[in-house]
Amino acid sequence: MSQAQEFFYKLPGTPGGNRPGAHRSRSVGSGMSFASHRKLIDQPDPRRLDLRASLRDVRRDWLVKVYRQNSSVTIQAIVDVSASMHFGGTRSKLKVVEDFINALGYSAFRHGDAVGLLAFDDKARDDIYMPPRTNRGAGITMAETLAENTQVATARKGSLSGLSDCASQLGAASSLVFLISDFHMPLNSLSAVIREFGGSTIVPIVVWDPSETRPPDKNGWLSVRDAESGRRRQLWLRDSTRKQWLANVSRRRSELTEAFTDQDIQPFFMEGEFNPEQLTQYFMEMVS
Amino acid sequence: MSNISFDKLPFLLLLPLLLLPLIRQRNDALSYSWTELLPQDGLGKIAEWVWRILALLTLLSLIIGLAGPGRSETQVEKIGKGAEISIVMDRSSSMDSHIRRASNSQEDKTKELNKQLSWLQAGQSQSKNDVVREALGWLLTQSPHNRYALTLFNSAAMRATPFTDDIAIVQAALDASDIGRGPSKTNMGRGLLAAIEAFEGRSYSGSRVIMLVSDGGARLDEKTRLAISEGLKKNRINLYFIYIESSPNSPNLETVGADADTASEEIALHLFFQQLGTEYKVFQAADPESLNEAVQHIDEQQNLPLIYFEKIPGTDYSRSFFIAALICCSVLLLLSMTQRVNWI
Repeated sequence: MSQAQEFFYKLPGTPGGNRPGAHRSRSVGSGMSFASHRKLIDQPDPRRLDLRASLRDVRRDWLVKVYRQNSSVTIQAIVDVSASMHFGGTRSKLKVVEDFINALGYSAFRHGDAVGLLAFDDKARDDIYMPPRTNRGAGITMAETLAENTQVATARKGSLSGLSDCASQLGAASSLVFLISDFHMPLNSLSAVIREFGGSTIVPIVVWDPSETRPPDKNGWLSVRDAESGRRRQLWLRDSTRKQWLANVSRRRSELTEAFTDQDIQPFFMEGEFNPEQLTQYFMEMVS
Repeated sequence: MSNISFDKLPFLLLLPLLLLPLIRQRNDALSYSWTELLPQDGLGKIAEWVWRILALLTLLSLIIGLAGPGRSETQVEKIGKGAEISIVMDRSSSMDSHIRRASNSQEDKTKELNKQLSWLQAGQSQSKNDVVREALGWLLTQSPHNRYALTLFNSAAMRATPFTDDIAIVQAALDASDIGRGPSKTNMGRGLLAAIEAFEGRSYSGSRVIMLVSDGGARLDEKTRLAISEGLKKNRINLYFIYIESSPNSPNLETVGADADTASEEIALHLFFQQLGTEYKVFQAADPESLNEAVQHIDEQQNLPLIYFEKIPGTDYSRSFFIAALICCSVLLLLSMTQRVNWI
């Protein structure tokens, strides 16, 4: 397993959370952002006495400044481990996902956040599971769990109902949910599934492989079997089929983007490898 | 083509294997995550079906080839015209020896000498067998409308071809007689009797000729003489003796009289043939004029139309099926060479 790469993430809004961390939150505590004034009798912290405000106060109470504390959040990674995720030209998409999970664990530790793992194909996978942890090694543990349980390619389809299974297992406390899948599935019930995640910030990570999106250069006969449905398709690769292929891929990309933006979510596309800088940029753009 | 049969019928039990290319599940297809992303392609479907059909044809022709299809031996009715000539050829070791000719005139002698010298210089000379084959080959080309049979004899008779109007077959049999050396014994009686036997039971269509080709005589015992004499008479067969001079000392049978010395085998035979009662002629194989005369003699015979059956030998078609399988296989190979086997 390669060295974990760190990325930075921010959350829009102010999630709750008692544990101090890196994210703006509604919780009160030691922090930098002013929240309100309280009476000294309620908040017996004379260090934070605001004399100016106390003098202005009509009821002549001693007022103490109260700050918002930056708190930690709980992150969940939900990984699609269906047959299509085993596909890949040089590396399978699941290997790329392992890289990401590893990086996620490391980054979450650096942010002081807890991170957990769930997986699904046509239903939730119980064997690939880690409850949210704040360990330093959480990422490694998650990546190993994922690798160990996906050694043998299944023929199982990935479906949104599997994803909704996972959503029901998730506690309400999760603030940031990564949906990691290739989304090679019908998207009819997407809005309903997204609703199941409640107020969590959802980041769909669309994992595609270059072999999927870019047709082979050489002309010739290409006989293809669908990893999930077993359906076969025969192609005679030439310029026109290549063009059609690329057109289909870009159409699918815009379909996905549209489906998610309808839910006010921006998908993150990950092709061939995990690039932490791109993901950092994604969060910066999303929050600011 | 109607009566095709199979030698090894059990191989046809393999025919259900033809379903193999039609079974959808095949492992050579590349796995892909979601085929909905791929374009629909008619040409690809055609390639797939061409593959399947070719694979099916390959299997089919292999199985049929293994089963050994063939046409069994059949008889074909033919209407022919012409003499029936049975060539009875001596194939004993003496025929492999080289010819030495006696020539009468001085001019001929020098010519002959020159010829011999040229043979010597070339390091080769003609055996009697060569001379006879050349002579008979020439004879065949001169009157191809006749039907010929070829019987070789040495210590026993060997039927090389039955009566046929296909000159090529007779010529091939003649050529084949060049191979190897014959045994030293000569049993002319058996050869003649075998030739006579070939005429037995055939309807009479015209002149029947036994053309005996030999380089020497033979002492025939009384029993054989009787059988030959009776057979020739019964089947109304003419006997032409194409004689090859073994040495300059060989007697010239064309000029020998009835009162000649019977101590020589050739002359004894000659005399026996003369008193057979059927038409008997002697010709010199090494003498073109004499042979020409023989051809004319044969052509002069009155010939009746004849209906006869000719055997068509069985043929084996498995080779062509194997070739078809090979062709299909190579096209399959070409097709699979264009097939992508990985994504990279």
